[in-house]
Amino acid sequence: MKLTASSIRDEIIKGNIDIEDYILKKLELIRKNDKKINAFISIDSEEFLRERARNIKMEINSGKKPMLAGIAISIKDVISTSFLPTTAGSKILEGYVPPFNATVVEKILKEGGIIIGKTNLDEFAMGSTTEFSAYGPTRNPWDLERVAGGSSGGSAASLSYGAADLSLGSDTGGSARLPASYTCTFGLKPTYGLVSRYGLIPYANSLEQISPMARSVEDLALLLKVIKGYDEKDATSIPRVKENNYERFKVCVIEDLVRDSDRPIKSSLYNLLHKLELEGIETEYREKLDYINYALPVYYTIAFAEASSNLARYDGKLYGRMGNGETYKKASIDTRRSNLGLEVRKRILMGVLTLSEGFKNEYYIAATKGRRLIRDEILKVTKDCILVSPVSPILPPRIGEKIGDPLKLYAMDVYTVIANLAGIPALALPSSFYNGLPIGIQFMGKPFSEGSLIRLGLIIEKITGISGVIASG
Amino acid sequence: MVELEYKIGLEIHTQLTEAGTKLFCGCDSNYRKYKPNTNVCPVCLGLPGALPVPRKRPIILALAVAETFNCKIPESMVFTRKHYFYPDLLKNYQITQYEKGGGMPVCLGGMLKYYDPDLDLWKKVKLRRMNIEEDPGKTEYSEGNILASEFAYVDYNRSGVPLLEVVTEPEIPTPRDARKAVEYLLLTMEYIGAMNPRLEGSFRVDANISVEGGERIEVKNIGSTLDLERALRYEIFRQRKIIEGKGIVERETRHWDPVRGITKSLRSKESEEEYLYFPDPDIPMISTEPLLKEIREKSIITPEKIMEKISRIGINRKMAWSLVTIKACAETFLEAVSIGADPIISSRILAIDYKGHLRKSGMSLYKRENWPDPVALKKISDLIRNKAYTYDEIKYNIIPKLVSDPKMIHITLPEKASPEKLITEVMNEERKAIRDFYQGKKEALDYLVGKVLKKAYGKAMDPKKVRNLLEEFLYKNSNIY
Repeated sequence: MKLTASSIRDEIIKGNIDIEDYILKKLELIRKNDKKINAFISIDSEEFLRERARNIKMEINSGKKPMLAGIAISIKDVISTSFLPTTAGSKILEGYVPPFNATVVEKILKEGGIIIGKTNLDEFAMGSTTEFSAYGPTRNPWDLERVAGGSSGGSAASLSYGAADLSLGSDTGGSARLPASYTCTFGLKPTYGLVSRYGLIPYANSLEQISPMARSVEDLALLLKVIKGYDEKDATSIPRVKENNYERFKVCVIEDLVRDSDRPIKSSLYNLLHKLELEGIETEYREKLDYINYALPVYYTIAFAEASSNLARYDGKLYGRMGNGETYKKASIDTRRSNLGLEVRKRILMGVLTLSEGFKNEYYIAATKGRRLIRDEILKVTKDCILVSPVSPILPPRIGEKIGDPLKLYAMDVYTVIANLAGIPALALPSSFYNGLPIGIQFMGKPFSEGSLIRLGLIIEKITGISGVIASG
Repeated sequence: MVELEYKIGLEIHTQLTEAGTKLFCGCDSNYRKYKPNTNVCPVCLGLPGALPVPRKRPIILALAVAETFNCKIPESMVFTRKHYFYPDLLKNYQITQYEKGGGMPVCLGGMLKYYDPDLDLWKKVKLRRMNIEEDPGKTEYSEGNILASEFAYVDYNRSGVPLLEVVTEPEIPTPRDARKAVEYLLLTMEYIGAMNPRLEGSFRVDANISVEGGERIEVKNIGSTLDLERALRYEIFRQRKIIEGKGIVERETRHWDPVRGITKSLRSKESEEEYLYFPDPDIPMISTEPLLKEIREKSIITPEKIMEKISRIGINRKMAWSLVTIKACAETFLEAVSIGADPIISSRILAIDYKGHLRKSGMSLYKRENWPDPVALKKISDLIRNKAYTYDEIKYNIIPKLVSDPKMIHITLPEKASPEKLITEVMNEERKAIRDFYQGKKEALDYLVGKVLKKAYGKAMDPKKVRNLLEEFLYKNSNIY
C-alpha cells in the first residue's frame, strides 16, 4: 500500500484501519523521532486525540463519509487554532492560544480531519530554512545534517517522516514549495484568493496563501478541495470562483528560470521534460522574460513593507509576552527587543525604511509598479502555457550553511516568488534524487488552473514513480 | 488699532453612530451601552490572523454624506494603514484613508453649505476631503487624569467604530461661523441617518487657527460646538496678544480644557510625523459607482431640502429653521400638513409652544414619540381655523395635556364657559382687589384674571380675552366702585 492520505482514508472508511490505533501510532512515532527532527512546536495530548478519534469513528459508523475521515494532519504554527497554542515560531507569542480557529481549520475539523500538532517554522514565516524559529531548527528527515527548507519546514518534515499524512503550510514566497522540494513531498500554492486567509498570522498579506502539503498529488487535491472556497471573513477571498483550466497541456521553460541552478537540479528538470515530451506533451523553450529578473528585489521590498506593518501589533499589551518598562513606549520597546528574533527585526527595519517619506517612492512604490509589470508579463505567458522551473536553485543546504549570508539565503527564493507576485497557482513536486537528497520541480499555471496542475502532476507522478514516499530514518 | 487677520480650518471627526456595525466587523457601532471590553471580537481586537472586512452600511452612509456636500467622489476608494504606537490602538496602525501613496479617500473636495439663521443666509466653506476611518479604543485613568493616576484602563468597545473625518479648507471667517458650520454638518448627518450628535463623544473637532504674523496652531479635543466657538475665540485672543506684543507664535498642538476655558500646549510640531502610510493589503479597493447608484435611488433628505419645502408651504424662514433644527419636529410638521393641518397654526404650535412645554417638562425634543400625532395636530388646527376656539384657548388647555400624552388623538374639548357671567360673579366677590386696582395697583388685575380662570376650571377659556373683558368692565364701571 502506498502511504498516501487518500488510501489511508479509504481503508478507514472501509473499516480496515482503526482510527484510534492509527492516530496513536502517529503519536508514538512523533514521541520517538521528533526530538531529533523537531518538526513540531506543540502536539495534542493522547487523551484529546483518542476522544477525537472516537468521535470520528462514531460519525463513520452512523454512515457519514467525511472527506478527511481520521487522517492525521499537521498544521503550520502560523495558522490559528483555539485548542493548541499558535506561536508563529516566535517567542513573542509563546503560549498564545487564539480564541478562534482559522477558517481552514474549521473546514478540516468539519471533514473529520485530526489535527495532531502544530509545526515548526521560521519566526513569522520569515525564512527559507526553518532555522529562524525561536523553537530551534527543523532537520531534514532525509539527512539530519541538512535543513528541511522553509518557512513551512516543520510541515514538510512531519510528512516526510510519516508523523502526519497531510499538512497545511503557508506560502508567501515559496514557503510551502521550497520545503516540499527538500523533503520529497508535494506542495501547492493556490491562486491568491482561492483559500481563506482568516486566521493565518500574516507575514505579507498580499502575497501569501495557506497551502496544502502532502505526499502525493491526489492528497494535495483532496486537501485543497476541503479548504478552498469563498469566506466572508476574508475580503481578499474570491466569491464564485470558476475553474480556468487549460484545454491542452503545453509546458514552457524559460532559460532565465533554470540557468543559475546547480547542475543536478538542471539535469533533473531537463530529464523530466524529455519524458514529458515522450508522453506527447508539448514543450517550448524560451530565452528570457523582460521583468522576472526584478522579481526577487520586488518581492522582498513588498514583503518587508507589509511585514513591518503586520508586526507592529506585537507590543505585549493584550496578548503574548510583555517586556518591562515604566512607560508604554519603554515596555513595548523591551517587549519587541527581547522577544522578536534578529531576522524578524531586520526585516521590520528594512520594511519601515521602504515605507518612510523620502524612501517610499524609490522602494515601496517602485516595487508595487514592478510587481504590476511582472504580474502582467507572467499572466500573459501563462495564458496558454504552464511554466516550469526548479523550486530551488540548490540542493538542501546544511544547517547553518546559508543563515549567515542574507543575500544567498534570499536568493533561494528566486524561482518561487514569481507565483506569489503574480497571484498564480504553483505546484511543487519531487522529480528525482541526487545523492540521496530530493529535488523538486514546480509548475505554474494561470489563475484558477489548479485542476490542470493537478492533472499534470498525476502524469508526472506516474513518470517519476515518486509518490507516498517516507524517509527511512 | 487694526485687528490682525486670522484663518480657521477644521477637522471634524464624526462617529457614524447609526451605522449598526463597526467599520470592519459585526460589533455594535453604538458601544456606549456595554460593559468595558464586551463589544469586541477578534477583528476589532486586532488579534493576529483576524481580518478586516469592510461593512456596507458605514460606507453607504459616508458616501451619502459626501454626495450631499457635492464631493468629488473617486471611482474607487482605498483603505490605508496609518502607523503609530499607542495603548488604545490595538494593531498599532489605524485603518484610514489617505490621498497619497496609492490611497484614495471617499471625498476629494466638496462644499459645506450651512445656514446662518441670524442673517438668514446660506454660507459656504470649501471641504478639502473626507475620509472613513476606525476609532481607537478609549483610555481611562483611575484618578481621572494621567498625572495623578497609578493605573490606566483601556476599553476597546469603541475600537473599530466607523468615523467620518471631514476636513475644511482654512477659510472659515469667524469662530461663530465655525460653530454654525459644524452644527449644520451634524444636523445633516442626523437627517441622513448617519449619526446621533447628542450621544456623548459622538464627535470631536480639531481646529487650526493661524493669526497674521504667526504660525499655525492646532487645537485638539473639542467636544461640543459651543466649546469650539469658545476655544477659537480664546486662541485668537491669545495669539493676537502674543503677536502684538512682538512675541512669536510657533507651530504647535494645543489641548482645549473646557472646564477652565483655556488651551494648553501639548507638543510643538517641528516636523511632519512619520506614519508609514500604505494601502491595506487585506482590503481590496471598493468601487463607489454601484453604491452611489443605490444611494441615488432614494433621494437623500437634508435640512436644506426640508427648509425649502417648509418655506414653500408659506412658513417664514425663521420659523421654518426653528422646525428644521429638530428633525422629529420637522417630520411631525410635514406629516400634519400633508393630511391637511393648517401650516401656520401647526408651525406655531410645534416650534414655539409645544417645544417650550417639552423643554419645561424635561422631555427630549429629539424623540419622535414625544411629539404629537399628526392627526391630533390637524384636529387642533381645524378648531382654531374654524374659529371654534382661539389659539390661546388651545395653547392653555390642550397643549399641556398633549405634552403629557403625545399619542393622544381624540381631542376632548372643555365646554366653553361664558366669561361675562363669571366676571360679574368675581366682581361681586372681590371688592378689595377692585379697590386696589383703582388705587393704581396694576397687579390686582392679574389676580382678578386668575380668579375668573379658576371659576372656569375645566372649561375652555382664553386668558387674554378675560383680561380684555375685565379691563373693559373696570373702566366702564369706575363710577360704581
